[in-house]
Amino acid sequence: MRDVSFGQYYPADSFVHKCDPRTKLVLLIVFIVAVFMADTFYALGACALAFFVVACFSGVPFKSLLKSVKAVLFLLLFTAVLNLFFYQGETVLWQWRFITVTAEALYFTVFLAVRLFLLVLSSAVLTLTTTPVSLTDGIESLLSPLKWIRFPVHELALIMSIALRFIPILTDETGRIMNAQKARGADFETGGLIKRVKAIIPILIPLLISAFRRADELGDAMDARCYSGSKTRTKYKKLAFSWRDLLAFLWIAGLLVGVILLKIYLPSVL
Amino acid sequence: MEAIKFEKVHFSYRDGGEESEVFESDSAFSLDGIDFSVEEGEFVAVLGHNGSGKSTLARLTNGLLSPASGKITVLGMDASDEKLLFDIRKSVGIVFQNPDNQTVASIVEDDVAFGPENIGVPREEIGKRIDFALRAVGMESYRHSTTTRLSGGQKQRIAIAGVLALKPRVMILDESTAMLDPRGRKEVVEVVRRLNREENITVLLITHFPEEALLADRAVIMNRGKIVAEGKPQEILLREKELTESSLALPRAVKICRGLQRRGLAVKDAFEAEEIADEIARLTVAGGGQVLEQSSQTPRVETGKGSIICENLHYTYNEKSPFATHALCGVDLSIASGEFFGVLGHTGSGKSTFVQHLNALLRLPSSEKKYKPKKVKKNELPPPKTLLTVNGFDLTDKKTDFKELRKTVGMVFQYPEYQLFAETVFADVAFGLKNFSEKMSETEVENAVREAIETVGLNFLEVKNRSPFDLSGGQRRRVAIAGVIVTKPEILVLDEPAAGLDPLGKEEIMALLHKIHADWCKTVIIVSHDMDEIAENCTRAAIFSEGKILAVGTPKAIFSEHKITEEAGLDIPFTAKLTEKLAQKGIVIHSDFTTADFVQKTAKYIETAGAGTGLPPEGGQTNA
Repeated sequence: MRDVSFGQYYPADSFVHKCDPRTKLVLLIVFIVAVFMADTFYALGACALAFFVVACFSGVPFKSLLKSVKAVLFLLLFTAVLNLFFYQGETVLWQWRFITVTAEALYFTVFLAVRLFLLVLSSAVLTLTTTPVSLTDGIESLLSPLKWIRFPVHELALIMSIALRFIPILTDETGRIMNAQKARGADFETGGLIKRVKAIIPILIPLLISAFRRADELGDAMDARCYSGSKTRTKYKKLAFSWRDLLAFLWIAGLLVGVILLKIYLPSVL
Repeated sequence: MEAIKFEKVHFSYRDGGEESEVFESDSAFSLDGIDFSVEEGEFVAVLGHNGSGKSTLARLTNGLLSPASGKITVLGMDASDEKLLFDIRKSVGIVFQNPDNQTVASIVEDDVAFGPENIGVPREEIGKRIDFALRAVGMESYRHSTTTRLSGGQKQRIAIAGVLALKPRVMILDESTAMLDPRGRKEVVEVVRRLNREENITVLLITHFPEEALLADRAVIMNRGKIVAEGKPQEILLREKELTESSLALPRAVKICRGLQRRGLAVKDAFEAEEIADEIARLTVAGGGQVLEQSSQTPRVETGKGSIICENLHYTYNEKSPFATHALCGVDLSIASGEFFGVLGHTGSGKSTFVQHLNALLRLPSSEKKYKPKKVKKNELPPPKTLLTVNGFDLTDKKTDFKELRKTVGMVFQYPEYQLFAETVFADVAFGLKNFSEKMSETEVENAVREAIETVGLNFLEVKNRSPFDLSGGQRRRVAIAGVIVTKPEILVLDEPAAGLDPLGKEEIMALLHKIHADWCKTVIIVSHDMDEIAENCTRAAIFSEGKILAVGTPKAIFSEHKITEEAGLDIPFTAKLTEKLAQKGIVIHSDFTTADFVQKTAKYIETAGAGTGLPPEGGQTNA
């Protein structure tokens, strides 16, 4: 655990890695819109092609990308099976007792599966190529217009980044406390629900106390380094757009236009 | 100009005043009429035990706390003036104790930028300040690293850089070295000293390690909220009475000098091995001393209960993943019953991984339920067998009763006081007992808990119903140790049992461990960074480095081999250093590297050498 950084960031130096996190966040949303607008196989195919190109430029091996699908594979299969058997259609392909599979159902199932695949994979590309820290920066920057309605954007971003920073420390600490209590005969693996919940108390209390102590000390350290909120604060790291971002924007904008055109000129067969 | 000036400052954390007087934590950390000042450019060390009020001093200086009465002036600014708070904090930086709890960002440069960002420094200037600050602490190559992956010493250097980026004129180190290993301590102290010399930053070094004060221009000893001694560190650190009264200790070098003086030898007090060696050489004319044979004292060895046999132990974290790290690569180590064994090595050397195997917190694959032995192909040699037997339990066997094993192999982790959780001390100590022996009657539990609490030196009736969180740090650690020895384990393993304690607390804990070793547990194993601690206390020790054992033997044997300690990147105990310096002068002292034995053997050597210096033996005391 100690050496594994938090999140699923895949360190590399690719085109996608170098893109601005704001670009990636916005384009992910645009891409999702495009995927949902695509209601024909042609349009969806265009989306898949666009995604494939991005994935190729991400420097992330396809194996790692596919791993991210693993988590939702069950959900994918479950919806696929439901659709396959219960979607109402006319052209019957196969029938056994009350189970009917129609051509329309098959078409729809495959369509939906591809769509979900694309959604999961495209979000994975974002998290695999962007560190949690720069993701936070990106979100802060994108939310900054909300400052006008007095939404505490800076504070929210700081809370997020401090939380990210303390995750590995607290994970380590949890492991240490668990080991200490295990060494004193605590048992976390057997017994019923109530017993297991009770067994968590000797871990939770020291962990909470330590978290409060850390928070207290961190607060002092931040005070001592003149932290006072957002008013006169400057920012060292400025996010900056480059030609890469422009290219990426053009690529996805092209996709969106393509999907709309395909919608108009090659309408669905269904 | 004075950088910091305290005039009759009183401060107290106590507001209710309902707590009893028995527990030191209640009256701790307050200040009782402090008059104290630091000149600009000065390097002042403040020495004091945990709870002496020395950290309060730091917090008062930059307005994290405000005094009950008295006046504090910082660089001519009144610290009680809220309008000046920002200016004071800009010019007085504090580096705190815990390296993990003062870093805001995950990336080094972002963290260093935090201070300048807060005070609105323009972007380009922040970049320059990061360059400067990281260069000043020698961490420029870590600019884009993740903070959690650095060592303790490196993290503290980053914390110093974070403060430096604000361009302070005064820097306060509030026990910033207390949680570090000796290597990290050295790194930090060297950086601070350089900043004082080269950048002319006023430094206030708050510490409980007397040796660190030697680098300062001036040292101050604090006890119970008062300043009890003040002066040149070379003079202050010889004042045995004030130091011991304040729960501090003489530096080890001075202890040796004093020991020799007590035997009537005219050795001057000194702080460096070289000087002491010169002194001893002066007393032994022409190196005519008789070389005393090394006593063939081998540790009392028993096999069976309390022993550990380990052969060819391997362990890999995150096996079959790109992050796989080989923590142990074939460890062979046997520890006999009755030993007081030391485990040495740096962070990442594999020593913690090894220790966690001893009570099956980490399990061998062959002891897991799912394990199926691999089939060995015909022309292939079977892989070398791993053996691990602890206290008579075979840990390679899945049929072993691991709960019973854990009952007989006690494990005290680092900073065990942070693992306490129960409402009362009694309940916390009884936790392990109740887990292991469910059928025990109430009176049996009470008797066992009473015995354990009394063994660790606490008053059972006084503490049993108190919350463990009311106790002082040292007392909490004792409660935590009681919670482990309460099951009467045959083997007791402790990871850095003395970490973070002041010198007196350290001595007390080590004395407690010897008592436990004598009365309760057959075998005691301590993991430590402190070479002196190992040399003073252990019968044998093993040095771990990169998942392997470099050497096993008596402290004398392993610390005499320079190559080994150097390869492991470890320091050597002071007595070993001194022995070596003496050997270079032709004086061969065969001690076991404990201070007491070294002093005795050296005195004997000088006596047999005739000590023909003409100095009267009574003239030993150099300071009145």
